[in-house]
Amino acid sequence: MESYLVYGTYVAAAIGALAVFLALPREKRPVRGAAWILAAAAIGALVWVLQAVASESTTVAFYVLSAITVGAAGRVVTHAKPVYSALYFVLVVIGTAGLAVIAGAEFLAAGLIIVYAGAILVTYVFVIMLAQQPGNVDGSRYGGALNYDTVAREPVAAVLAGFVLTATLAGVIVGRPLKGVDGPIAPDPENTLAIGRLMLSEYSVSVELAGVLLMVAMVGAIALSRRKVASEVDGDVDAAALGESGRKAKPF
Amino acid sequence: MDICFALVCGSSVLIEGGRHGFGDMNSAVGLMLVGAVLFGIGVVGFLCRRNLIIMFLCTEVMFQGVLLNLIGAGRLWNNLHGQVFGLFVLVIAAVEAGLGLAIVVMLFRRRGTLDAERWATMRG
Repeated sequence: MESYLVYGTYVAAAIGALAVFLALPREKRPVRGAAWILAAAAIGALVWVLQAVASESTTVAFYVLSAITVGAAGRVVTHAKPVYSALYFVLVVIGTAGLAVIAGAEFLAAGLIIVYAGAILVTYVFVIMLAQQPGNVDGSRYGGALNYDTVAREPVAAVLAGFVLTATLAGVIVGRPLKGVDGPIAPDPENTLAIGRLMLSEYSVSVELAGVLLMVAMVGAIALSRRKVASEVDGDVDAAALGESGRKAKPF
Repeated sequence: MDICFALVCGSSVLIEGGRHGFGDMNSAVGLMLVGAVLFGIGVVGFLCRRNLIIMFLCTEVMFQGVLLNLIGAGRLWNNLHGQVFGLFVLVIAAVEAGLGLAIVVMLFRRRGTLDAERWATMRG
């Protein structure tokens, strides 16, 4: 019974690899429709494998959220414009938080939305806006997108490496029986309460260490951003001024 | 107000409907499978994109896959240690994003571009 599941997983990975390869940005894109159809087929195959390994009362929301998360992750990787990639990544985070809620990890889901979508992604969008170059506005397909965004380097090798890894991992997860504790769920009236108890009793040292790490990271980021960096772009006055901005911008 | 009420009721139905049946081992397999797929997609993006910030974003996609895997492992062993581990992974991800983006901004100031190919000076 399990071998056809493993082969189904490999087939899904192969279709997904072809879909991502066709959807990656390149100079000319004649096969965009085929990429969408193959992506739908790959996500459909993934949902089929998921419902074949699922327990009796897995809700429909699990499949819908998995499809949305995987589709948005594919779009993060294949979109040519960085801001769109960041926005699709917000969708990935929301999908992951929804899957965490379904699995009973409500505190982690709320933490994901607040920290990832609210802080990390906002930082990413800030830096994307900050580190912008004027692109070539020649009316081409991406109207201002830059060459390093519109052309993927070595797409065949990257897709092969990534999807062979995915197929191996997924085949092992689906094919081998996983060791664990079977039985009813431990009584968990409040997920936040239980995690709070655990973090203050068993993981208290880890919480303190995480606090120290966060402070070190904050000091390090401020020290890095205030450092004067000599710009190596020659002949361009604006780029040379870019290197000075770290020292001139006073934080207070 | 009614929309908030409906959202809360609907989400509680989702949570309760999921929780009562989501305790055996099969449910963890699905979560870990989605985590593995997310990780693989992140690897593909990291290897073939040339924009430094998008490469970092793909490592964040890999982090999402790892988080789902940890939650699934917690489900397998029927305790909360997977979720606490996931919270610490979240902290590390935030730290890494902040410092990594500071470094990317410094690199951008030096070369004036976000292209990763410009830093291929060690290539023989």
